[in-house]
Amino acid sequence: MKKANGAAVVSTMIVCYIFWLLVTGQIVEFFYGEASWQILAAGLIVSFAVALFSARFFIHDDTFFLANPIHILKLIGYCFGTFMIELAKANIDMAKRAFSPKLPANSGIVKVPVNLDKEYAQAMLANSITLTPGTITMDMAEDGNGQLYYYIHWIDVASQDPEEAGEMIKGTLEKGIGGIWK
Amino acid sequence: MRIVIDVLIVLSIFFAFAGVVGLLRMPDTFCRMQSSTNVTTFGVLFVLIGGFLYALFYLHNGEMMVKCVILAVFYFVTSPIAGHAIAQAAYLHGVRSEKKMACDAYGEDLKKGPPQPQSAEEPAAEAAPAQDETAKEESET
Repeated sequence: MKKANGAAVVSTMIVCYIFWLLVTGQIVEFFYGEASWQILAAGLIVSFAVALFSARFFIHDDTFFLANPIHILKLIGYCFGTFMIELAKANIDMAKRAFSPKLPANSGIVKVPVNLDKEYAQAMLANSITLTPGTITMDMAEDGNGQLYYYIHWIDVASQDPEEAGEMIKGTLEKGIGGIWK
Repeated sequence: MRIVIDVLIVLSIFFAFAGVVGLLRMPDTFCRMQSSTNVTTFGVLFVLIGGFLYALFYLHNGEMMVKCVILAVFYFVTSPIAGHAIAQAAYLHGVRSEKKMACDAYGEDLKKGPPQPQSAEEPAAEAAPAQDETAKEESET
């Protein structure tokens, strides 16, 4: 486990503080000019304490990556564009499967190669695959050459070839994520 | 606007219902988990969008709108992690489907590794970078 550096603590603190403002509703009072500075300062101190202990779990490289508005726009575009389309297709397919009388389930675990280097990109792709109904990422592993593999449980195994299965499961998702985290 | 909100909530109920029907009908643990993601994605997403619009147009309650957005964000970030953990733990604990799976790459790779399934991945993951470093050193020399 790497030690946290100062920049990681600061960026974690900013994110914690923003979420604290949103969850407690301070942001609404802040806009009406009713927030007391004592409460805001207390939130800042607590979020600093939290960041001090938890920064090393969250931030490993590229501390202020999301401070760039282009990256945030790309991230939002991925979440509401590419990912939503895949999600809708998979959800409708899964609902049909659940209601069909024959219950077509040809399940299996496939091993799929992944070509993303950033840790955040790998985590985001694994989460996107799990959120899509019909596929669950079970584990990730590297082989001897440094090529990363996901083990994916797939409810309808259409192809057992790793490349072809990978294209069917995560083709568009991987392209979208690769565009964000370069 | 009221109609849009109602349609969103009915859609959410439909997907949640489909997920629960699948949950009861599917043959084994992993397929049941697949079906439950139906509830946790569109079921939750549509009801939160409906709640957001209701707060925006009828209640005029900014705090409630913000809370709907925060709920959606945290829900979509954290729920797949529980999915990975449950699926992997179930597999390593020895849960298998009654029907034969179409293919089982994970089980084959676990058999190739050390005999204890729990510690099978971690040595493999650590060994791979070490091999890379030795390969690089050899190529440099």
